[in-house]
Amino acid sequence: MATAESKLFRESIRTALAQRVGIPDSDATAKATAATWRLVAAQLLPVIGARGLEVLFDRAHRMTCATFPWLAVGSGSGAGLLPGVAERLACQRPAEAAEASYTLFVTFTELLMNLIGESLTARLLTPVWAGPSMPSVKESVL
Amino acid sequence: MSDKVTIRRLATGVPGLDAILGGGLPEFSFNLIVGPPGSGKTTLAHQIMFALASKERSALFFTVLGEPPLKMLRYQQQFSFFDPQKITESIRFVNLSDEVSTGNFDEVLARIIKEVEASSPGLVFVDSFRSVMLEARNQPQGTLSLQQFIQQLGIHLSGWQATTFLVGEYLANNDPHPVFTVADGLLSLDQSVHRNSMVRQMQVLKMRGQATRPGMQTFRISSAGIEVFPTALVRDDNGAVHEPAGSRRTKARVAMGVPGLDEMLGGGLPSGYSMLVAGPSGSGKTILATAFLAEGVRRGEPGVIVAFEQTPSQSRTRTIDDMVRAGQVGLINTRSLDLSIDEIVQHLVAQIHRMNAKRVVIDSLSGFELAVAPTFREDFRESLFRMVAVLSGLGVTVVMTSELEDRYTDLRFSPYGSAFLTDAIIVERYIELDSRFKRVMAVVKVRGSAHSNELREFEITDKGIIIGDPVGDYEGLLSGRATLVPQVKVVGRAKLR
Repeated sequence: MATAESKLFRESIRTALAQRVGIPDSDATAKATAATWRLVAAQLLPVIGARGLEVLFDRAHRMTCATFPWLAVGSGSGAGLLPGVAERLACQRPAEAAEASYTLFVTFTELLMNLIGESLTARLLTPVWAGPSMPSVKESVL
Repeated sequence: MSDKVTIRRLATGVPGLDAILGGGLPEFSFNLIVGPPGSGKTTLAHQIMFALASKERSALFFTVLGEPPLKMLRYQQQFSFFDPQKITESIRFVNLSDEVSTGNFDEVLARIIKEVEASSPGLVFVDSFRSVMLEARNQPQGTLSLQQFIQQLGIHLSGWQATTFLVGEYLANNDPHPVFTVADGLLSLDQSVHRNSMVRQMQVLKMRGQATRPGMQTFRISSAGIEVFPTALVRDDNGAVHEPAGSRRTKARVAMGVPGLDEMLGGGLPSGYSMLVAGPSGSGKTILATAFLAEGVRRGEPGVIVAFEQTPSQSRTRTIDDMVRAGQVGLINTRSLDLSIDEIVQHLVAQIHRMNAKRVVIDSLSGFELAVAPTFREDFRESLFRMVAVLSGLGVTVVMTSELEDRYTDLRFSPYGSAFLTDAIIVERYIELDSRFKRVMAVVKVRGSAHSNELREFEITDKGIIIGDPVGDYEGLLSGRATLVPQVKVVGRAKLR
């Protein structure tokens, strides 16, 4: 059951992603997903290390694939999965792609919350989901 | 300029640690925290970091392989000192596993230097040292050797105007690493398992410029983090010899609360004295000690009892409970079997100060010995000596009970050889008289005071201990072979039946 903190996070994730994508578009969703992931990684890498990040992302991706099987990527792990994930998102209908992207980040965030707690997760990831600090999709390069 | 540099000492936030460090952690010192896995190194480092980190004095915590950072963050949050609000605000974690896994120490050092120079932290931690050593096997040719890396890191750590810590696993005693020489402070943590008890100890092997507490110091890890129980010192904090026993004593006498006993003691127990009440099981030691506390309460003198009995008697429990509930007596009750005497002394001293206690009862030394972890039993007598000295220094009057096997072949007062430690001794014995089992007591010693040398019968009634007549018509009572002395005639004393 989602707590108040995680509900707040879900809303922030949905809002932030929607803002970054702008007009619903699959390609923009793919780019926003990759750019947002880089922000998440930049925040978490110093704290939990590349391996910790990779393990969490892989698990979040696998869990998201249970709902969105088309998001499955043949091989790779961690950041290595990202080009494949973006490619799959770009091929989907905008609404479906947006929902999958949102689910991937929510799953990842909740996995992290389960491990290190809501409070610390909030401390670490708030800058990612706080709108002003996010770069626009145009600034990011896949 | 004749002014010498003044080194500030930082309060570590770890209860008891500042005392063994000699007053805190020197600011800008470079410290090593070493010990085997599970000994509490990371916990100690985190506790110090969370206590000291602030916006003005930020902390950088470098994690290097070893424990996965996710796990470390997960488990360290279980401690109450872990404050998530400080993360990113004044504490920043930096993971170096990628740099270290290449074995290229130039890169590791460069990353550390870059991060430190970017944020000018007041505190720097590198955890763990052993991971760095292990990865040294993979190092590429032509790069910094491990030794060079450690030395350069040490030099940098010393020069950053930051208080720094290198956390590492066990390092062999017979082959100390060169970094030991560079370090200003060296804290060694250890844990030992003996039978069913586990004892954690730490030792300050080095702390430049200040007098540290020598020897192994016990500590516990609870949900509040680490708490150190410094060895009770007979010397005071300035290093001077502690006030000699008795210097805080007055000429006042303390009433024992047992009618007739004060007269036997020559007018009561001299204030500030420690008394041993020795006797076999059921002879009334606890009741005597309880009466001593109750009398204090009656006279407005708060007391503290340290109880170790596994099955406290109902009467004792009721009387003590009443006084404890009324806030007149402090109770330290423990069933734990892995205590150190220093831990008890620390709790006891804190309780004495809190209650402004004048009377202390330790019931009993036998239970105390059982409660102490097997590791410490070898030093029980020594530790007891320190405890008595500390209590004596506080000026409290102490009654300790001691279980004594009833032997008729020898006359002993304590199984610990502790009789000489105390200022006064009362011994209780069972005797067979007129085909009855009877109790007798005698005052064996009251240092510097005249006292009765009579062997007095006593009874335990609902009203407590009733002391009766001297057992005057017999001799050889303590040998178990009492014989009647025909000529002795007792006049004017009511005989107990």
